[in-house]
Amino acid sequence: MADSLDLQDIQGLIIRGYGALKAACYILLEINAPQPAKKWLSILVDTLTTGQIWPVEKALNIAFTYAGIKKLGLEPAIQAMFSKEFIDGMTTPHKSLLLGDVEESSPAHWMWGGPDTRPIDMVLMMFAVDNHELSNVYNAYAQTFAAHGLLEVLKLDTVDLGNKEHFGFHDGVSQPMIEGLREAGTSLNTIKAGELLLGYPNEYGLYTDRPLLKPALDPQGVLPRDSDGSGNADLGRNGSYLVFRQLRQDVRSFWQFLDGATKNPDGSSNPIARLKLASQMVGRWPSGAPLLKTPDHDDPQLANMNDFTYYQADPYGFNCPIGAHVRRVNPRDSLDPEPGSEQSIAVGKRHRILRRGREYGPPVDPMELLSVEKTMAENQDRGLHFLCLNANISRQFEFIQQTWVDNPHFNGLYDDADPIVGTHCPDGGTFTIQAKPVRKRLTSLPRFVTVAGGAYFFLPGIRAIRYLASL
Amino acid sequence: MTHQVALTIITRIKPGETEDIKQLLKAMGNNAAQNDLIPFGKISTVHFARFVMLDESIDLHGTVISPRLVFMAECDAPLHRLFNELADMAGDGLDKIYSHCEGYPIGSALTSARRLAYLQANMVKVQAFYVNTVGRMVQQIRQESQLRNAIQDFLDHAQQDWSGHSSLEVRTKILAYIRSERALSWASTPPAQPGLVFELKETLHMVGMPLLLLILLPILILALPIWLLLLRIYELNDAASDIKPGDAHVRELENLEDFVAQNQFNAVGYIKPGWFRRLTVQCILMAVDYGTRHIFNKENLAGVKTIHFARWVVIDELRRVIFASNYDGSLESYMDDFIDKVAWGLNAVFSNGVGYPKTSWLIFNGAKDEHAFKDYIRVHQIPSQVWYSAYDHLTALNIANNAKIRAGLYRNLSETEAEEWLRLL
Repeated sequence: MADSLDLQDIQGLIIRGYGALKAACYILLEINAPQPAKKWLSILVDTLTTGQIWPVEKALNIAFTYAGIKKLGLEPAIQAMFSKEFIDGMTTPHKSLLLGDVEESSPAHWMWGGPDTRPIDMVLMMFAVDNHELSNVYNAYAQTFAAHGLLEVLKLDTVDLGNKEHFGFHDGVSQPMIEGLREAGTSLNTIKAGELLLGYPNEYGLYTDRPLLKPALDPQGVLPRDSDGSGNADLGRNGSYLVFRQLRQDVRSFWQFLDGATKNPDGSSNPIARLKLASQMVGRWPSGAPLLKTPDHDDPQLANMNDFTYYQADPYGFNCPIGAHVRRVNPRDSLDPEPGSEQSIAVGKRHRILRRGREYGPPVDPMELLSVEKTMAENQDRGLHFLCLNANISRQFEFIQQTWVDNPHFNGLYDDADPIVGTHCPDGGTFTIQAKPVRKRLTSLPRFVTVAGGAYFFLPGIRAIRYLASL
Repeated sequence: MTHQVALTIITRIKPGETEDIKQLLKAMGNNAAQNDLIPFGKISTVHFARFVMLDESIDLHGTVISPRLVFMAECDAPLHRLFNELADMAGDGLDKIYSHCEGYPIGSALTSARRLAYLQANMVKVQAFYVNTVGRMVQQIRQESQLRNAIQDFLDHAQQDWSGHSSLEVRTKILAYIRSERALSWASTPPAQPGLVFELKETLHMVGMPLLLLILLPILILALPIWLLLLRIYELNDAASDIKPGDAHVRELENLEDFVAQNQFNAVGYIKPGWFRRLTVQCILMAVDYGTRHIFNKENLAGVKTIHFARWVVIDELRRVIFASNYDGSLESYMDDFIDKVAWGLNAVFSNGVGYPKTSWLIFNGAKDEHAFKDYIRVHQIPSQVWYSAYDHLTALNIANNAKIRAGLYRNLSETEAEEWLRLL
């Protein structure tokens, strides 16, 4: 390998999800006075967690919006070298259309990151072994904000549900492995570092556009040099774009819909059919076992099963429906030019993301929600703080969202946006379950997941943060 | 006759009247199907239609090319049916638009025949035209969509649970339902096939072109090394492209995208100076024309199955080329398909254009340079002021699948074949 990863310059969140640190919060900050903020940053940078260490007590990472980067005083010509998606942000009218952020998900209703909420310049991400330790870390940093011209806009808390998300399914089973990092990844699931990190070759063997500075702008040599050989200082290297979306999950409407769709002829609930239908929509059982491998019942033995392709075993979707959530966010070998081929897998690898999300809001037992008296009382906000990393927002996160998740025509379908997280047409979506002798289908699917906030961030390398703080 | 034609009409806009047309088209573009000027939704033969304005431009020698209005439509043959419908339904609208263009008849000279004569006189030859599936008419596409929807509703409502039935039993019930529906009576016969004359012409072209090449082979063998050498010299001397698209330009384009299942795309660019590139682009477009007519004429353009129509038109005395297409899904996925699946084909044509990412030996590299290619696309893309789709909720894959559902109605199937047919639903 020509270019090994500079783990000490990469923020830890790119390398690991800090699974052992069960507590986490995200602090959204506004910069009111750039000079003190940069001073603060220059101290903070030494306490950030890098990819080289495996934290056991706490971890800290930081990312910036484009507004934040601008406030730090980078030259306009350099600012303009960030990707267009990052510069434009997540809330332009066209972006809302392509991300499905319409109606109740429209940025106008967002709690943060929207047009009518306070500007967000940075997000400070804190992780700790437990809530007690987390509040210690938080309190220590929170004290420093005001004196350094920083305003805490919002503190987003998280909750540890084990490996489950609020609908009750094992989440985060399939993650791409970064080439050159771990040896364990299968080739199907291993992608070039440049898909996640700027300043490294991507799946095309090319470098993704990023801010490159004439060496004169970095006389101290704070920044790494462009490994593509231009001789310029590379502000992007070892950094990544962080997509942050607060996804609100309507757990009650989800299970009520499923309950209604699977009732016995006598009107009573059918828990087995209900769970199976939910799993068909997800594409994995609650344990995580893929329907491809075990279509009829859950099998916890297969909870972490991830080494499979779809087309050979299940070309028509009889095991795992074509429109199931996991079969569309990572279609593996399902798609053109030739399903089941290496070419199909190669195309798929250009559309991967590394997910780093955590749940928020109190957990709830679906069965309690289905009982009538509790139904009225339970109305708490819960969901997923969806965080993902990628080097090219338009080819990775936005492509997956627009062309796979929200596309009702995905893989030859007609009206089937993603049954779990998709945006459906106003009179509701369709979910087709391929079957013999003929398909079943659900119509009038409501939207179970809405967007309550979000922004695109740049998660710089450590040296890049040092450079930004020195401006 | 059921084949499809690419109509292109290019007219010169009168000096100073560009803004007037823009305003007219803007209002029209808000509702392309049912506007007052040309209600495309009422015209039975049009698959897609668009108005595109070419702003004033300065060519590579400094000569000014005045603003043009380009009308493009993909429609079912024969073309005179389209013209007749236009004259019947949109005479006033045509007057309002084309009175801003040079040479349009005015006053007492304005008769229906003169209007059409004007349009026909400004028709421009299309060098290459890709049709997703030759012969599939607007009416057929709409009817087959209706058929599919009817079967789906029948399956949903006739019975909650079909399991336990054999494939043949289910199929028999579906067929009985179709026969019982008066609105689906058209489905009792297969769709019309392209006309004999058209088929004959296509066959002659398919056989004739290779024969012609065979005859010219001795000359070609001599010319090829020279051509390759020149090509390589030109390629090595081509400047690398590093122009980024402007923010306002991209915003204008974005705001027209992603409302329905399909999107429109137009790009216009100058052919590189000198006879060599002009000759090359014409030869390549002849090859593209051959490929689209005889090889890629059913649901698949070299691995890309999301394009309904595409055309290449050389204009301004071999100075510029317009490329226009109707495709499914997002521009990002369209561009990624280009890069991943047909980079060679794009390179062969577009590397003769100014500003294209550097190629080697005509077909290598080029579009494979992801960022340079995507920037090139946006820099050269121009908006459609008006864009109409006759079936904006259907992707090319949906249309192909609907056609298979219909085609499966006309013969007796075995249990296995019935199973395959039911998988289309």
